[in-house]
Amino acid sequence: MNLYANNLTYKLDNEFHLNDISFNFKKGNLYTILGRTLSGKTTLLKTIAGLINPDSGEIQFEEKEFSKIPVWDRNIAMVYQQFINYPHLTVYENVSFPLKQRKIDKEKIKNDVDEALKTVGLIGFENRKIQELSGGQQQRVALARSLAKKAKILLLDEPLVNLDYKLREQLREEFKRIFSRGFAEDTILIYSTTDPQEVMELNGEVMVLDEGKVLQTGPAKEIFENPKNLKVAEISNDPPMNIINGTKINEKINVETININLPNHLSKLENKNYCFGIRASEIKLSNKGEEFVVELAEISGSETLLHLKRGKTKIIVLIEEVMNFKINEKVKIEFNSNKFYVFGDDGKLISSPYGENNG
Amino acid sequence: MYKLYTFLKYSFVTLWTMFVVAPFLWALSTSFKDFQSVNSKVTYIPWIDYQPSLEGWKVLIKSPAKGGVDIVEPYFNSIFVTCTASIISIILGTLAAYALSRFTFKAGFVRNNDITFFFISQRIMPPIVLSIPFFIFLSTIGLLDSLIGLVVVYIVLLMPIAVWIMVDFFNRVPKELDETALIDGCNPYQAFYKVVLPNSIPGLIVAGMFCIIFGWIDFFFAFILTFTEVQLLPVKVVALNSSVTPWWSLSASALVSVAPLIIVAFIVERYLSKGNLSGALK
Amino acid sequence: MNFKHKFVFLFPGLFVLIGILIFPIIFTIRLSFSGWNSYTPEMNFIGITNYIRLFTDDPRFWESFFRLSFLSVTTVVLQYIIGFSLALMVWRDIKFKRFFRVMFLIPMMTTPVIMTVIWRTFFHESLGPVNDLLGTFGIGPKWLSDPATAKITVIIVEVWQWTPFMFLLLLAGLLSLPKEPFLAAAIDGASAFRKFVFVTFPLMAPISIGAIIIRLIEASKIMDTVFVLTSGGPGTATETSSFYIYIKGLREFQMGYAATLSFTYLVIMIISLTIIAKVLTKLMIKE
Repeated sequence: MNLYANNLTYKLDNEFHLNDISFNFKKGNLYTILGRTLSGKTTLLKTIAGLINPDSGEIQFEEKEFSKIPVWDRNIAMVYQQFINYPHLTVYENVSFPLKQRKIDKEKIKNDVDEALKTVGLIGFENRKIQELSGGQQQRVALARSLAKKAKILLLDEPLVNLDYKLREQLREEFKRIFSRGFAEDTILIYSTTDPQEVMELNGEVMVLDEGKVLQTGPAKEIFENPKNLKVAEISNDPPMNIINGTKINEKINVETININLPNHLSKLENKNYCFGIRASEIKLSNKGEEFVVELAEISGSETLLHLKRGKTKIIVLIEEVMNFKINEKVKIEFNSNKFYVFGDDGKLISSPYGENNG
Repeated sequence: MYKLYTFLKYSFVTLWTMFVVAPFLWALSTSFKDFQSVNSKVTYIPWIDYQPSLEGWKVLIKSPAKGGVDIVEPYFNSIFVTCTASIISIILGTLAAYALSRFTFKAGFVRNNDITFFFISQRIMPPIVLSIPFFIFLSTIGLLDSLIGLVVVYIVLLMPIAVWIMVDFFNRVPKELDETALIDGCNPYQAFYKVVLPNSIPGLIVAGMFCIIFGWIDFFFAFILTFTEVQLLPVKVVALNSSVTPWWSLSASALVSVAPLIIVAFIVERYLSKGNLSGALK
Repeated sequence: MNFKHKFVFLFPGLFVLIGILIFPIIFTIRLSFSGWNSYTPEMNFIGITNYIRLFTDDPRFWESFFRLSFLSVTTVVLQYIIGFSLALMVWRDIKFKRFFRVMFLIPMMTTPVIMTVIWRTFFHESLGPVNDLLGTFGIGPKWLSDPATAKITVIIVEVWQWTPFMFLLLLAGLLSLPKEPFLAAAIDGASAFRKFVFVTFPLMAPISIGAIIIRLIEASKIMDTVFVLTSGGPGTATETSSFYIYIKGLREFQMGYAATLSFTYLVIMIISLTIIAKVLTKLMIKE
């Protein structure tokens, strides 16, 4: 009773939007699709919905060939990143629209709509026009509409990306609450996003997508701890993971003119050139550290993102407080070498600080 | 400098407004004249220059047998032909425009844009090119000098306008709206009339107005393809012109003929000011 | 999206249009190779005799075509200049904005032939108000009976009738322009003139081209005005292609030859409008 796909491929204007994608999604689970803009996330969701016919490959759902079932008979729901509702209808009419389409009796519709509106916190807004609502409220209506349907497959296409920071945080919390509260046993929930943070918080099964290709699949924790290659490391971290060219020489790692003591987990590494990966949060300001030059300092919320340079090496440091820096100012930093990832010349993961190496 | 500019601006718009209203005022004045006040010397203002008479207006509703002009029947003919052809064109044009805006068509080298161009390019066709074959065609099937024949011809005039305006309009309605309707259990027809159509009313009104304008003001086809059985308003009024010219009834009938569409100017302006037309006409 | 339902949306309109047009077009082409006239009203085949006649022995058609080109280009240029000026003036701050907008739109809502009937009385040599007023300055042009002034009269009437359409398209375009470039220009302290040359005009170029081409297409059909105002006269001074074809076909009943004229005229129109569209696009949109 799964949603199963095999070798899905879709090309438009000679460009791959889906490149040989296969998966097997099980009911009652949450799947997140992580990928940058234009990586094929929306195309994949629309293919599952039936709005796009793949050039080749097959999709099955509940052991039935999905391609023979038109969109309108598929019993799915989808929330778009643009806040798509029916502008000529009220909130209540919007949420009840898919139910009326099914010709369910009025009492039942009212119950389902009320429940969905309660879930998204829009009780009392039933008779409002869509245009009178804020962006966040509009997206809640769209969510309520897809929840009320009790669809077997629920697709959410970057639902938070067009909201401002604060609303996004708030709705993300609510999503977690809604999805975790024993989300119907027989629903497959597919959530696409560009934001690694969201993936971690939703904590489902992750599929990392790039240029229409699946790069890695696995639980969120595993993607975070063991990114298969540089590309995944880049996509699954925000700010992106720092990649530093360095050489391992016996008990040291040499980067630019700095020598870093070899951490324990890398003791078996051959003496050679590698790409070392380290998250922005694993580098600290420290008087005992090495000198770098400030290129740029961005403050976002309660954090400071420091762009540093030394020789040819550029790194980003995440400081969890608001600090002011001058451009070209010299700062000293220390690497937490226990958190070093090692990638080979081909970009594949060689060693991870979390032990397990599935390269 | 700025004052001079403002002065020139207001002078220009005022002058143009005077130019616009001049023929109407002249016709209005003339419609109350009689033989004496038209033919003696040029007169303008009633009671001062001449003694007004209602003769020009009374003639309009008298039957021809009593020496009247009988403009009532052509009036209804014009309304019938314009409205019928507009409605058919809008229905067919809107459906086609929706298809061209939403779906992809491929047939040999023909793509969506080529089909759209085929529709719109029918406006390039000079009426005279069509009128000769239509003349022979309609007379073969016995529809010459009939309302149905005219409606058929007017559809060719009006459907390109409907397609032109509606394709542009639908291109600006997010396609996610119809997709959501499909996902919510509508088949493409239901998605169209339950969701897309209710949100396309401004576009439909604009398209409707343009169809009515271009249908109402056509003269040539009506002139070539009808004779005595069926007469449309413009033909009737022009026919008055060629006989011994009674300027008063001519002016009165002209004013009556153009009056209904002047209301359309107000509607167009309202849509323009609300910003609904801006995209629709680009 | 791709469903088989798409054909149900497209086909009714497409086939109705093709259905109505296919016969006239094929018929015109066939007719153009025949000698159908009032003596022999039948579809015989005379080869390209009609075309030879048109290209070697019919200066009147070519004159009427150049006259049409002159009239339509002149009127459209005038309409564009006046229409754009009017649109700019009622675009933003002006008192009675909506009143002026309505006023500027009215002529296009009126039936050209009917208004032309009024214009005929308006320009009447002895009983019309124009010559009455000009008479006080001691001039009295023979508006409709002199070849030069007859052309001017046609142009005046066409400009009155169709400037509103140009105005409407351009004003709708102006109202849909993005605000940012104007803010930027205002911050730079650009003068009204510089703003127009460097911001408004370039932004309006695509809309202008569209409006000019739409108007050229419509203007090339000038027929109603000429028919009522001058009947192509005096002589052939205001005779346009359409009117000439009308005379040949439906007055002299040389149907075959008229079909030849029609078909040739249609081909010339399509070619020249395509060229004009390309040239305009090159001229007005730089880079």
